[in-house]
Amino acid sequence: MTATTNVSNLLSPELLHQLEHLELVTRKVFRGHLKGERRSKRKGQSVEFADFRNYVAGDDLRFIDWNLYARLDKLFLKLFLEEEDLHFYALIDASQSMDFGQPTKLLYAKQLAGALGFIGLCRADRVKIEVLGASRQQPSPVLRGRRSLWRMLEYLDGIQPGVNVPLAEGVKSFCLRNSGKGILVLITDLMDKGGYETALRFLLAQHLDVYVIQVLSPEELRPELQGDLKLVDCEDADMAEITVSRPLMERYQKTLAAFINGAREYCVRRGMSHLLASTETPVEQLVANYLRQRGLVR
Amino acid sequence: MSVLQGLFTNTLLWWQWLILAAVPPLIVLLYFLKLKRRPIEVPSTYLWSRTIEDLHVNSIWQRLRQSLLLFLQLLLVALIMLALLRPGWQGTRLEGTRVILLVDASASMRAIDDQPSRLDEAKKQAVSLVDQMKPGDVAMVISFSDTARIEQSFTENRRLLIDRIQQIEPTIHTTNLEEALRAAAGLANTGRASTKGDEQDVQVADALPATLYILSDGGMRTVPDFALGNLEAKYLPIGTATAANLAIVAFSVDRNPEFPDRAQVFGRVENHGEEEQAVEVSLFHNGQLRDAQQTTVPAHASSGVKFDLSDLDAGLLRLELAAPDALAEDNIAYAAMNRPRPARVLIAGPDNDALRVALRTDEVAKMATVEFADESLLTDPAHQENAATGGYDLIIYDRCQPAKSPLANTVYIGRIPPGDAWSLGEPLTGPDILDVDRAHPLMQLLEVNKLQIAEARSVKGPAGSGVLVDSVGGPLIMIGPRQGFEDLAIGFELITTNAQGQQVGNTDWPRLYAFPLFVQNVLQYLGGAGGATAAPSVKPGTPVTLRAETPVDTMRIVSPAGKSTTLQREGQNTFVYSLTDELGIYEVYEGSGQQVARHFTVNLFDSRESNLAPAESIKLSNTEVKGTTSATTVTRKELWRWIVLLGLGVLAFEWYVYNRRVYF
Repeated sequence: MTATTNVSNLLSPELLHQLEHLELVTRKVFRGHLKGERRSKRKGQSVEFADFRNYVAGDDLRFIDWNLYARLDKLFLKLFLEEEDLHFYALIDASQSMDFGQPTKLLYAKQLAGALGFIGLCRADRVKIEVLGASRQQPSPVLRGRRSLWRMLEYLDGIQPGVNVPLAEGVKSFCLRNSGKGILVLITDLMDKGGYETALRFLLAQHLDVYVIQVLSPEELRPELQGDLKLVDCEDADMAEITVSRPLMERYQKTLAAFINGAREYCVRRGMSHLLASTETPVEQLVANYLRQRGLVR
Repeated sequence: MSVLQGLFTNTLLWWQWLILAAVPPLIVLLYFLKLKRRPIEVPSTYLWSRTIEDLHVNSIWQRLRQSLLLFLQLLLVALIMLALLRPGWQGTRLEGTRVILLVDASASMRAIDDQPSRLDEAKKQAVSLVDQMKPGDVAMVISFSDTARIEQSFTENRRLLIDRIQQIEPTIHTTNLEEALRAAAGLANTGRASTKGDEQDVQVADALPATLYILSDGGMRTVPDFALGNLEAKYLPIGTATAANLAIVAFSVDRNPEFPDRAQVFGRVENHGEEEQAVEVSLFHNGQLRDAQQTTVPAHASSGVKFDLSDLDAGLLRLELAAPDALAEDNIAYAAMNRPRPARVLIAGPDNDALRVALRTDEVAKMATVEFADESLLTDPAHQENAATGGYDLIIYDRCQPAKSPLANTVYIGRIPPGDAWSLGEPLTGPDILDVDRAHPLMQLLEVNKLQIAEARSVKGPAGSGVLVDSVGGPLIMIGPRQGFEDLAIGFELITTNAQGQQVGNTDWPRLYAFPLFVQNVLQYLGGAGGATAAPSVKPGTPVTLRAETPVDTMRIVSPAGKSTTLQREGQNTFVYSLTDELGIYEVYEGSGQQVARHFTVNLFDSRESNLAPAESIKLSNTEVKGTTSATTVTRKELWRWIVLLGLGVLAFEWYVYNRRVYF
């Protein structure tokens, strides 16, 4: 019963309905473990025609094109594209800083992960949602098939903020445990004092199709602060004393823009996709419009 | 330092400054206290830290720099401090902790060469001097013209001082600094208990030095015999040196001696300007223009005007200069001809045909009302009282003598006045006339050298008496003073009674032309009779002594402005009027009478007051005080009002910033 509530909380039925028609796309074609609903680089057994080649002895006779043989009196073999499953990883940053905004960035991240995961489940992909810094003792489930929706949602629902690990460390730990190739969506705010570059380099090394979705709240994008303030970092209790003034706010906007652009450029140069998501943008819109444009979903 | 002292005037005591100086640190302190910043939790200080990274270098100053409000508040306090320092320039610095301000309020200070007038300029400068007083300084204000008036004794209260300075009214009096200086010196130089060189010489009180500021145009006499002592005198000349002024300095009307029904009017016009001026002088009689003359007055010289007027009996005369100059008060002069008053004359004594005939002429009838009385009247109490209160102008005692001298001029024929002052000499028979004092008004135009006298006695009057007719046996006619009156004693009778009781002539004088003339002279000189006489003119502020023509207890004077003053009798039928503060013609009413008895005039007629060129220095005994500053630069140009306005602007801007949260 709780699961039903959570479903409506995280993913509304309308959204689910909308997502059913989408599928995850990877720019790289990977080899899956099991046969899936996805074309593979490998020629194999599917309904999608790929090519012809001359028959050589030992070939499966089932694939000989008899119509062609009748016309040309030569034996050709029909080659079909192999269909495979896709590994989809959603990596959620559940640090304290994600527990901000209205709705919280974490909730937004969960919704996004849930939506993308659901698309994957619908297309029989291998879906794995993980929290950065999750311990080995409580491994996240590997999901496949529509029936796993409830498990996924349950897992998502169980994610609590407060897992404060440096981004790089969390990503490193993930990479050590998951060596499979596929799509990785990293949902984070990238606000790590240690920098995000190390973390992204780890992902790059995995030959994953990486999508970095940077979730920021409007409070971060356009802070409405006034007066003399002592800003306390919720993660490490670091303090920054500011006196709000117009130049300061302008400087902040510059810094923010530089930060976002820096991240985007870093990603693009390394073949990763970067997407800035404000929690103001509804998830369905993000998935349907922005991610579609970026080619993550189709 | 001296430049700064000229630029700023301290208005606070040191402890007040201390309190004020504590304000800016307090504001900064409050600002930091206020900067107990409101803690607010943010997802990450990552971006913020990077934002303020470079600002951290000098964070405390950065913080201050960023606070516009703090800056504005400090600016406001600084402006308040600056305003309290009262920056200004071109001002004379007020020296000394005790200041005496002498403000000239004499007639010349009414000149309008300094707008609105010199006195206002002097008051303005006095106020600006008071404004520069430091806390603890005391000042005193004295206004002076011919007299000095302490407007305000030493006080620290600046408001009171300024009020009193503003209350100084211009007068039309002449200038005399001496009294003002003595008033000031009395407070600065204390007297000594004894004379110099005395071993017992004790200083009565501590001498208190003071600075004396004389705000005047300097039109005054040298003050003789005055030592400044502890006073430090500073003279601030008021007025412009080029102020041109034409003034009437004399105006009189007199009967033409050759033609008694004609009058001559004389006036003198002085030019105190640098250029020769032609001016029209107009004479008004009872308000009607009678005559006008054009006269040219050279620079720094005077010129006379003369008008001959016929049928001028009595009336009010006004001489006007058609010259719009700096001082208007001296462009008009007033004179009045008082209506002739018949002299009241009493002839007491036995019947005297010679006198009767001489007093029956038309001329005498115009001049006097003559009563004849028996000598028995002298014992009548009613007459005695009348005589004692001045009921007559002249009493002629013919061969008789009262018990007491009356309050009137007297003539004694064949007798001497009662009392010990006069004495009769031995009887003389047929005395020869030796000498006649022709200069005396009584003896003018008389030929009495050949006078034949049967019997006479020489007379001897009191000290101060004059001999009119001298003979070999001694003076025959003498005139002597008596308490404001004059007694004329003639040592021979005109008509005598012989042994048979018949009246016979004692002299041939009644048969000569000289006798009626002599009687006329007596009536004119001793009886005060005569034609219309010029009303006396006095200078402003001078008391006038008036004598009532009839014995009355009160006298009413109406000033030119219409102010009525009732005077009470002082002593023997005299009244003293001292409110001669207006120029013009004053009317005198006697008793409850509604008819103007006579007039007197008040005219400035002071060349010194009319000379408007401010003196470069004034001489106080042997000290010469030079004008310290030119009159135009003494006024301190104050900035503090503008600073306060600026401060208000800053305050308003701060409020706007605070409310609108505008940050730059």
